[in-house]
Amino acid sequence: MRTFRDIPIRQKLVIIIMATTTAALLVAGFGIVLTDSLLFRGYLRRDLSALARIIADNSTAALAFNDPKSAAETLGALRARPHVVGACIYRLDGSILARYSRQGASACPAPDDRDEIRFTSQGVIVAQPILLSGHRIGTLMLFYDLDEIAERITLYGSTVFGVLLASSLLAFLLSSKLRAVIATPISQLVRATTSVSETGDYSTRAEKLSGDELGVLVDRFNEMLAGIQSRDQELKREREQFRFMAESMPQKIFTAAPAGGIDYFNRQWMEYSGLSFEQIKDWGWTQFVHPDDLEENVRSWRQSIDTGEPFTFEHRIRRADGKYRWHLSRAHAMLDAYGNISMWIGSNTDIHEQKEKEEALRRANDDLQQFAYSASHDLQEPIRNVAVYSEIVAQRYHSVLDADGQQFLGFLKEGGRRLATLVNDLLAYTRAGTAEINETAVDSSAVLKHSLSSLAEAIRESNAQVTYDALPEVYMGEAHLQQVLQNLIGNALKYRDQDPPRIHVSAVGRGAVWCFSVQDNGIGIDPQFKEIIFGVFKRLHHDRTYSGTGIGLAICQRVVERYGGRIWVESEPGKGATFFFTVPQRAQSVRAAALDSSTG
Amino acid sequence: MGGISRALPVLLACVTALMLPSRTVAQTDLEYQVKAAFLLNFAKFVEWPSSAFTDSDSPIAICILGKDPFGRAIDDLVQGEAADGRKLIVRRTSQLPAPQACQVAFVEGSTKDVAKIVNGLGRGVLTVGEGGSFLREGGIIAFVIENRRVRFDINQTAAESAALKLSSKLLSVARSIEK
Repeated sequence: MRTFRDIPIRQKLVIIIMATTTAALLVAGFGIVLTDSLLFRGYLRRDLSALARIIADNSTAALAFNDPKSAAETLGALRARPHVVGACIYRLDGSILARYSRQGASACPAPDDRDEIRFTSQGVIVAQPILLSGHRIGTLMLFYDLDEIAERITLYGSTVFGVLLASSLLAFLLSSKLRAVIATPISQLVRATTSVSETGDYSTRAEKLSGDELGVLVDRFNEMLAGIQSRDQELKREREQFRFMAESMPQKIFTAAPAGGIDYFNRQWMEYSGLSFEQIKDWGWTQFVHPDDLEENVRSWRQSIDTGEPFTFEHRIRRADGKYRWHLSRAHAMLDAYGNISMWIGSNTDIHEQKEKEEALRRANDDLQQFAYSASHDLQEPIRNVAVYSEIVAQRYHSVLDADGQQFLGFLKEGGRRLATLVNDLLAYTRAGTAEINETAVDSSAVLKHSLSSLAEAIRESNAQVTYDALPEVYMGEAHLQQVLQNLIGNALKYRDQDPPRIHVSAVGRGAVWCFSVQDNGIGIDPQFKEIIFGVFKRLHHDRTYSGTGIGLAICQRVVERYGGRIWVESEPGKGATFFFTVPQRAQSVRAAALDSSTG
Repeated sequence: MGGISRALPVLLACVTALMLPSRTVAQTDLEYQVKAAFLLNFAKFVEWPSSAFTDSDSPIAICILGKDPFGRAIDDLVQGEAADGRKLIVRRTSQLPAPQACQVAFVEGSTKDVAKIVNGLGRGVLTVGEGGSFLREGGIIAFVIENRRVRFDINQTAAESAALKLSSKLLSVARSIEK
């Protein structure tokens, strides 16, 4: 069943008008009837009192001269008053002189003691004394029915009912007029909105039929439509511009619906794949992705669709000739004003050559690293032999050698020692890129203490003062962290000024990473060498003042980057240097970074 | 309450007795008791000219000329009665009264020379007699017995010439009116 809320406005108007009219008339009618019945009682009281007095007065002679006939004639005049049911004239002793009855005989009850007008449920009873020269000579009683009141109420009731009927009919007839005034403009507006929402044709306009609020509503609606229309056209133009741009680009371009189905591939796609748009639209593209890449590709795309995160994926895509070429595919979600994804726009770049070069480079790098590792490993044995046998020569043939021979042997020993250090560092460097990742937290304070005890002799010799703050736990291999800290502190001890070195180690949390710093008061570094110093065998000081292989910072950089961190230096010549390196705070990002750096 | 008010119910109760087939002395008494009450009531339906009274306080005198058929009954009835602000009294006289002495004059039915008496009374006197002939002899109201009930006829011409105004109510209960 439909409620009032749901019925058309035209019917609502009719109901409202009829309800208002009915309510007003009912209240008015009830008020009139109530007022009238009150007024009428007063009127009736006065009227009956006057009537009784006249009858009583006219009956005095009949009563005085005991003339029932005359009295009956007098009472007969009451016939003109149809609501008088009966009347009786009593003598003083209560006997009846004359009676009148509207219909047949009606009993005259004993006269009332009280002279008054009484309203009873049956009717009005009037007891009127009959006086002659101020003396009572009898009593007149009138009986008046209430039909008149009932008649009046019936009359008013039927009048109200009649007016009600007539006004309802009029309201009903008026409603057709009112429809033209209110309901028709609304219906028109409804038709216009329905038409717009069904056809999407924003050039539709609602017709203005009045200058009232509805007219204003129509105006505003039309303005809104005009606004939407112009925006719609703008959107179309922009879409065309986008299409044109996409078609004219050498790259492959696509757009996707928020649900992930591809709704646009540019011409380059069709040319590359040799397939029609119909074949590859929505999820049809999965047919040209390499089977080995497909599963991960779909998973990654779905994850982006679910989260709205940018999509980046490298995969092999089949060309029209059946050959697969590496592509880097990216897609970004476009958000509307409410932050909801409205569409995805993506591009697919052919990175096949780059990928092949990278692969070749990686292989070459691997080979080189393998070579360096084996070489330094294999070199250790002959170098050890050089050291051992030059020492034996120095001991056993000390007396045989002359001063020059002694000096040359010294050069040989020193060269062998330096060569051993160099090979060890090289080995450490190659290991830094291949070592296992530690997934448990390591207390960096403890690691620092180990580093310091390893450097104890150098610290004592240089009379250095090393201080440090509380350091965090990090997800980093213990040996790796020690390698980094030991190298940095070692450098600080090494590149010192005239003053004893003052070194401070600290770490602060910055976003998702810990930022470690090693600060010294040494000779500092010219800013122009900030980058170079991290290269292999890059040494700024080739004189004998500062010894070293030139691999330390390269090892540090390799280790830090292995964990997804960064290493850099801030310094000015003569004002000391501060080395910084970052370590991710969470094990996961360490691992991801490790995976990242291992694949990249 | 005046005497007539108290007496009337009793009298009217007796009227039924008049309807009995034979007349008795008691019936005659009753008849005159009714007539006495009527006589008093006449005074209340008649308007006298002021010239009929000596002054504004003078009573309305009901004079019984000659034979008195009422006895003490009428004296009891008239006790405390008044009409038009004037006291009602009863006078008995065997002679023609002086002007302004009587306002109502009753002439018993058996009286001789009624016409002479009526004429002698002059203006301003309501003359009441008995029998159908009383009006022909110049009287104003005549008691008649009809169906054993006391009723009366009126000669309005005589009333007018006596300068009396008879109430229309009185006329309405009269048996017949002569003009």
